[in-house]
Amino acid sequence: MLAYIIRRVFQSVIVLLAVGLVAFSMFRFVGDPIENLLGQERTVQDVERLREALGLNDPFAVQYARFLGRAVTGDFGISYRQSRPVSQIIAERAPATLELAFVSGVLALTVGIGLGVFTAIRRDGWAANIIMSVSLIGVSLPTFLIGILLIYLFGVQLRWLPTFGRGDVVDLGWWTTGFLTSSGLKSLILPSITLGLFQMTLIMRLVRSEMLEVLRQDYIRFARARGLSAKSVNFRHALKNTMVPVITVTGLQLGAIIAFAIITETVFQWPGVGLLFINAVQFVDIPVMAAYLMLISVMFVMINLLVDILYVWVDPRLRIDGRHT
Amino acid sequence: MKTILTAALLAVALPAGAAELRFATTSDPTTLDPNAGNSAPVFSLLINVYEGLVRRDRDMKLEPSLATAWEPIGAGEGWRFTLREGVTFHGGQDFTAEDVIFSYERGSAPESDTSSWFAGVERVEAVDDYTVEFYTTEPNPIFPDSIANWMMLDKGWAEENDAALPSIEQGNFATLNTNGTGPYMVTERQPGLKTTLVAFDGWWDDDIGNVTEAVYQPVQNSATAVAALLSGELDLIEPVPIQDAARIEQSDGVDVIRGIEARVIMLGFPHDAENLIAGGEEGNPFKDVRVRQAVAHAINIPAILQTVMRGSAEQATQLIGPGLRGYSENIAPGTYDPDLARQLLAEAGYPDGFAFSLKCTNDRYLNDEAVCTAINAMLAQVGLKPLYESMPVANYWTTLRAEDHDMYLLGWSPGTFDAEHPLRFLVATPNEETKMGSWNFGGFSNARIDELMPMIQSEIDEPKRQAMLDEANRIMADEQAYVPLYIQPLVWGVKEGVEVVQRPDNFLVLRWMNVPE
Repeated sequence: MLAYIIRRVFQSVIVLLAVGLVAFSMFRFVGDPIENLLGQERTVQDVERLREALGLNDPFAVQYARFLGRAVTGDFGISYRQSRPVSQIIAERAPATLELAFVSGVLALTVGIGLGVFTAIRRDGWAANIIMSVSLIGVSLPTFLIGILLIYLFGVQLRWLPTFGRGDVVDLGWWTTGFLTSSGLKSLILPSITLGLFQMTLIMRLVRSEMLEVLRQDYIRFARARGLSAKSVNFRHALKNTMVPVITVTGLQLGAIIAFAIITETVFQWPGVGLLFINAVQFVDIPVMAAYLMLISVMFVMINLLVDILYVWVDPRLRIDGRHT
Repeated sequence: MKTILTAALLAVALPAGAAELRFATTSDPTTLDPNAGNSAPVFSLLINVYEGLVRRDRDMKLEPSLATAWEPIGAGEGWRFTLREGVTFHGGQDFTAEDVIFSYERGSAPESDTSSWFAGVERVEAVDDYTVEFYTTEPNPIFPDSIANWMMLDKGWAEENDAALPSIEQGNFATLNTNGTGPYMVTERQPGLKTTLVAFDGWWDDDIGNVTEAVYQPVQNSATAVAALLSGELDLIEPVPIQDAARIEQSDGVDVIRGIEARVIMLGFPHDAENLIAGGEEGNPFKDVRVRQAVAHAINIPAILQTVMRGSAEQATQLIGPGLRGYSENIAPGTYDPDLARQLLAEAGYPDGFAFSLKCTNDRYLNDEAVCTAINAMLAQVGLKPLYESMPVANYWTTLRAEDHDMYLLGWSPGTFDAEHPLRFLVATPNEETKMGSWNFGGFSNARIDELMPMIQSEIDEPKRQAMLDEANRIMADEQAYVPLYIQPLVWGVKEGVEVVQRPDNFLVLRWMNVPE
């Protein structure tokens, strides 16, 4: 197990280096940051001075090495757009994204698994059929459209919920949270539904098809024959055995929720790292783009690692196989 | 919870007639340092906080601000400013000549993004505490106009906080904090999220509306901003997408306010290219003035204004709009005449047209992509073969500077609100030494205009100066250096009853706003 983890960590470092290299070589095509940093009345001297100060005149390899050298110490440089350390900006913005991702993830998992089990048990019921049909919307409509529709309905027409932003937040020093104020909680509702809807329907459909598969198995019939309660059969025996694919998908989707919060954050003007990244792309804020891409790839690598470890924990067969190889 | 309590306490403490304004624009200012960002979003916010020696009134005319009077020294050796007495900064420091000298040194430093305003200034002297003299190498009639956005900082405050020089690349105390003399103080600054301004009790002037607190939040997505306006969460948004304006006007509780910006949108030509980058044509057909005129006659500007801009914009005749200093009255708007365009092309030897690239932005000007799509079709109608390509502005300037273009779209807002500004940047022959023509991507070059430029820049006599500007504008129109298209509109959305003043520089001047209670 330990050797396996060490091997995976080593692989992860190579993945990260490759991501950094690809990202850096692409920044040249995003545009010239100087164009945004200086006004229209700038002179050639201004441009040259700033280019030199930012190290943009150095060869690509030097810039990449400098970035890596700083990044290992946690220093991602100074944002071109905000003239502040990138690590500080990301630390400020991360709570917003993580809280949103957390709520969306919990929503997607609980509602998704619940509805999945329900539609599997009541396979031919009218309620299950309606849920299945409606869930198609969640899979097929693009996120930004769902966001705009929710804003229009609950924000503009009914005026129950705020249309944008995070509401009032409480500053705990190292973390800002929207969980402790009513406007903060209200502000979470629409974006988290928008962000989690796709995952929710995905998990629901996955749980349903896995459940249907498992419910046909002999041991379920045997359990029923033993006279175990329906609750015990459905949840202890059947559901647990559907969990392996669900964990894989959830793990990967958790990464997706954070990484692709970009669209939801843009639609709701949610002050997280996704919105920060979009602004950075528009402004050619290379330090912020580089830091964001590195962090997202670190996150994906870690999630994959965790998912692999979870497999072993959930499925005893893998443990036995692991000992033999 | 804490923030709510503070807000509630503030609401109780506000005097009668006080009002809060919540407003949003698409782009957050990059900095609060008036010398570290020479851009409209920065000045639009800072004009409420900092003040210059002169300022512009509701009609863009210069009026006294921190200087009560100014006059030329001798026969154009420079300008003498008399400072206002009794002005204090938000931090309580007195405003004196020492601060002007300091602000000049800071604003003209190589580290500053505003140094070009002081290009011709030789030295600055404080005669006494309230008199400052600027000596220029050449007579400079528009010096007061060119420093309307030059803002005064307190010397002591800047030096104590290690912000004596601006820092674009590293940032410093002045990036996030302010200490101006203006009508509003910044009490909270969260870059990209929220900026709170509160009225300054000790302001020297009384031309101020009822906004005592203003909360600014950037909202990038215009559909979100419109929704927040309709739901009553915002009192003012800028800009409103032109295509949504009519729908918003019909909604209850909100108004759309339209104006004209100082920005002229135009098409540029590859004047100095040997060959075109697109098409197999040998040589550069755009060197022939008849071809350039054919392009101008092929574009139906009124149709673009009616359909793409929904009647919000005005056709442009030259590179600045009417009402600005130095505008030439004698130039007629271009006419749409496709037959004449075809005839001109035939005369120039291109009866079947030719292929060339047409480059545009898709996120810089209002509806820029739609305008270019229309132009593309109109040029094709007279037999030309444009290869149209649009791109984000982040790549656009790099592409144009790399000479990777034939025809291109360009918008220009004259920083000095004077006809000399676009001539200097867009029309004069590019020259790194004289810093002329730095945005003249097509390399247009006319000996007479180059000869006129230094004379225009140093002519104190107004009628003589206007005559030279008229001549330069005439040459530009005859040579069809550019095709001026239209003047970009300003479209703001406000909560019903909110009174605002839309100035052509598109600055959000809070002191001219009134919010219903």
